[in-house]
Amino acid sequence: MAILNILQYPNPRLRIKALPVAMVDTKVKQLLNDMFETMIDAKGIGLAATQVDVHQRVIVMDLSEDNSDPQVFINPEIEVLDEATTPYDEGCLSIPGFYETVERPCHVMISALDGEGIAFKKEAKGLLAICIQHEIDHLEGKVFVDYLSPLKRQIIRKKMKKK
Amino acid sequence: MYKSKKLKMLPPRAAAAKVIANVLRGQSLSTLLPEYVDSVAEKDRSLFKEMCFGSLRWYPQIAILIKQLVQKPLKEKDLEIQGLIACGLYQLAHMRISEHASINETVAATKALNRIWAKGLVNAVLRTFQREKLALLDEYKDHLVFQHAHPKWLIKKLNEAWPPNDVLSIIEANNQRGPMTLRVNTTKISRNDYLAKLKDADIQAHKTPNASSGIQLLSAVDVTQLPEFASGAVSVQDEAAQLAASLLQLESGQRVLDACCAPGGKTCHMLEMQPKIASLVGVDSEPRRLVRVKENLTRLDLCAKLIAADAGELTSWWDKKPFQRILLDAPCSATGVIRRHPDIKILRKPADIDKLITTQTRLLQRLWQTLANEGILVYATCSVLPEENDHIVKSFIEGRVDVEVVTIQATWGKTTPYGRQLFPVPKGHDGFYYAKLRKVGQTIE
Repeated sequence: MAILNILQYPNPRLRIKALPVAMVDTKVKQLLNDMFETMIDAKGIGLAATQVDVHQRVIVMDLSEDNSDPQVFINPEIEVLDEATTPYDEGCLSIPGFYETVERPCHVMISALDGEGIAFKKEAKGLLAICIQHEIDHLEGKVFVDYLSPLKRQIIRKKMKKK
Repeated sequence: MYKSKKLKMLPPRAAAAKVIANVLRGQSLSTLLPEYVDSVAEKDRSLFKEMCFGSLRWYPQIAILIKQLVQKPLKEKDLEIQGLIACGLYQLAHMRISEHASINETVAATKALNRIWAKGLVNAVLRTFQREKLALLDEYKDHLVFQHAHPKWLIKKLNEAWPPNDVLSIIEANNQRGPMTLRVNTTKISRNDYLAKLKDADIQAHKTPNASSGIQLLSAVDVTQLPEFASGAVSVQDEAAQLAASLLQLESGQRVLDACCAPGGKTCHMLEMQPKIASLVGVDSEPRRLVRVKENLTRLDLCAKLIAADAGELTSWWDKKPFQRILLDAPCSATGVIRRHPDIKILRKPADIDKLITTQTRLLQRLWQTLANEGILVYATCSVLPEENDHIVKSFIEGRVDVEVVTIQATWGKTTPYGRQLFPVPKGHDGFYYAKLRKVGQTIE
């Protein structure tokens, strides 16, 4: 197990599009373990492999207060079940210290592989729906500040560079 | 991702405006309220709920005012402002709070809604209404939709179905808040003992006149304040809905079906009333809603077999063993519970009724096949429209020889040719319909 380095915005490597996982082997399982450790260490609730500079379609998540509900999404896809959006103040492990309101569809169906490579489907509402969309964005090379006005994004960018 | 540091708090009027806007976009109030309630400070929550319910309850009236007072209709993306104005007009027309404060707070909510451009508009509309309130109300004193605050099609349907006095009392009840009613879990505690516990907790309450385990509270409280709620001493259920279980004449050893069982109030009541039934099968088409049934059963220490399926698709769930009792609480227009779901006034459309009739007829015909000889099926809806009630039963029994309509002897409701209709009563039970059908063996000639 190891705590991995988290890429910080505006690192251009956050813009790399991740590739699908061909097989859930021991290497991927090791990555999952490391990602969980990294996420918990950073007190996050979701982490995409892109953020630790591994460009494979892997997401780990734990929405519980006490790290009791680890979830894995490999090669995730979502289908929006309800176009109605809900606002949420999102924060990101790659942009620590900034929280901004992003509106996203609040009801989606997730299809993915679990940590053993078995396909599953899961209906998601609320925080899970928001978080999976935030993390899939990372796999596509997107970050949540992309949804903000250019002015706001610029301010965050400058402040992040000063760090 | 990081979890939000804190939920972005919304002033109650801004939150209510968002809820109303999303109802206007087609979402239901019962799904929206839990989503938004957390974003309102605890001290403002009752005001927030009051403004959601009130604005929707009077929306048919308020929409007429908005049409007159707002020159250019608001765009789809700015329905939040429509919602905010509705909320403001509701306060001015129906709530006893300082007009000055309510206008100021409502106008200020444009900022929290990120629509500060609408500040002047909201201010102008509310001040115009305040200034010309009497003249405006007088202008519409003979306007049916305005006065009754019900959609035109519904007033028409009610008038076709019932005498004018009944229609007026239905409308009056729909425009008031419904009371909070409890059902005592008599396997755990008697109604009298629970009343005593409520008294100790300083909650004023009295027995319901018709349902034998019902207690009506003088004013609503949060369930967490109810003595022994978590351990299953009581459930929240309207009195009219509590009448279903007793109509079924449950006896030990029977196989019982609750079709369309979510959220499970009646399911649990049946098990509380007759713990010795052989098995109870609860079917509902929505797996998500079955979770609620499961929660209720667990809290009350009861056990039922739950199946997620379309009850009308017998092959998908029925094991071919007949049921001695069936409760068919059919999907309906919910026109008897408008006061608890005022968004119905906006969301329900006349075409929905035709679709519901098809569903109700289909369910009754299919489920009849699963009923044992001499078995009883209770058909129920929370509708006050005969086309979903008596008409369904009438067309079902026509041409059938294996069905007998059992007369319901009761002190509640109104006798109809095939069943009993309850109208919603101010400070009393909801609107409901029951018909009781027995399967009779064909005689061999």
